[in-house]
Amino acid sequence: MKFRDYYETLGVARGATEAEIKSAYRKMARKFHPDVNKEPGAEEQFKQIGEAYAVLKDTEKRAAYDRFGENWKNGQDFTPPPNWNEGFEYSDDGFGGGHPGYGGGFEGDQSEFFESLFGRGKHRQGGRGGNPRQGMNFKGQDHHAKILIDLADAYNGAKRTIALHMPVQDASGHVSTQERKLDVSIPKGIKAGQNLRLSGQGGPGVGEGPAGDLYLEIEFHPNAIYRVEGKDVFIDIPLAPWEAALGTTVNVPTPAGSTLELKIPAGTVAGRKMRLKGKGIPSSEPGDLYAVPSIALPPADTESQKEAYQAFEKAFDFNPRTHLKG
Amino acid sequence: MTQTNITWIEGAVVENEVHMTIVELSHASRTPEDLIMTWVSEGVLSPAGSSPQNWRFSGDSLRRAKTAAHLTHDLELNVPGVALALDLLDEIAQLRARLPRD
Repeated sequence: MKFRDYYETLGVARGATEAEIKSAYRKMARKFHPDVNKEPGAEEQFKQIGEAYAVLKDTEKRAAYDRFGENWKNGQDFTPPPNWNEGFEYSDDGFGGGHPGYGGGFEGDQSEFFESLFGRGKHRQGGRGGNPRQGMNFKGQDHHAKILIDLADAYNGAKRTIALHMPVQDASGHVSTQERKLDVSIPKGIKAGQNLRLSGQGGPGVGEGPAGDLYLEIEFHPNAIYRVEGKDVFIDIPLAPWEAALGTTVNVPTPAGSTLELKIPAGTVAGRKMRLKGKGIPSSEPGDLYAVPSIALPPADTESQKEAYQAFEKAFDFNPRTHLKG
Repeated sequence: MTQTNITWIEGAVVENEVHMTIVELSHASRTPEDLIMTWVSEGVLSPAGSSPQNWRFSGDSLRRAKTAAHLTHDLELNVPGVALALDLLDEIAQLRARLPRD
């Protein structure tokens, strides 16, 4: 197990005041919050910040953590000494950093290091969860998870078996993770950011109450060819200079798997989008597919290629920088 | 080899097909109903219908409510702060979608 230096994580000195710790946490939490920061790695960083803050904001946990002394470094192999936390009492065993719905992650995102010191946080009960009282019937918790699908699935519809890691809480409150496989029909026309509601696939009901629902937030696998904006899809079409100048016909692959012939008119300019109406993500009002031309310049490696460029120069009285003359 | 029949679970696309009551939205976003009412009064969410009992939230409200709940919980933003953050996040998402890929 690796040691975690919570002071280093928050960028504060070991003697930092509560106010300094709070301010450092807030600043970093705003920066790395996964709803705000879409960079890869931000979510992981946010969890680490949350974990550090959960310990350092809590006087008892911080005092217990400080017992290890300041010689431990981030990432060092670490085993807590026996009875290290004797005489400390924690007013809560929860961990405030994570919340349901991120990347299929639920509560319990804390590190092994945190868990070995402070135990696993209890799975947070939504609203009216808690201990079932006799005669009380409640709908089970709604669960949230993110799933990645291919853009082609949104064009054609698909049937996919997905694996979710669900937290399961036993009678004594311990949380473990269980893998659950679901065979899900992906409806044609679904878009990134939309949620698929699977009725009755969430947490079990309390008493006679019905099970909760499962919400699957859809994301597309990153795609090297297409860029998606809502229901519209964009594809870059590189053209040779002579193709752009003289016009041509190119084959444009669609995410649905078909190929469209696109006429490139003479005098096509880089960046001038060409719309293939209705060839975006399908729906009653389907999106459009946009071909975005760019001009690819072939390198002049051989003598004859250099001559070809020189012939260009002779043929044109062309100065692309006329607007720059001062 | 035996062939097993798989029952594929059909879901409803929340944004297209689902309109939620305040009770459903509260349950799905794990947010108390009174906080949802405050968000409505601040314009974070705009349900159809005249009174909380009749409110119908469009499917898009779920995403907004979840983000609002995260921001409230993680950053301790107050309601006007959440409203501002959501508007700015929407704008950033639109601008980012317009950027060419690297």
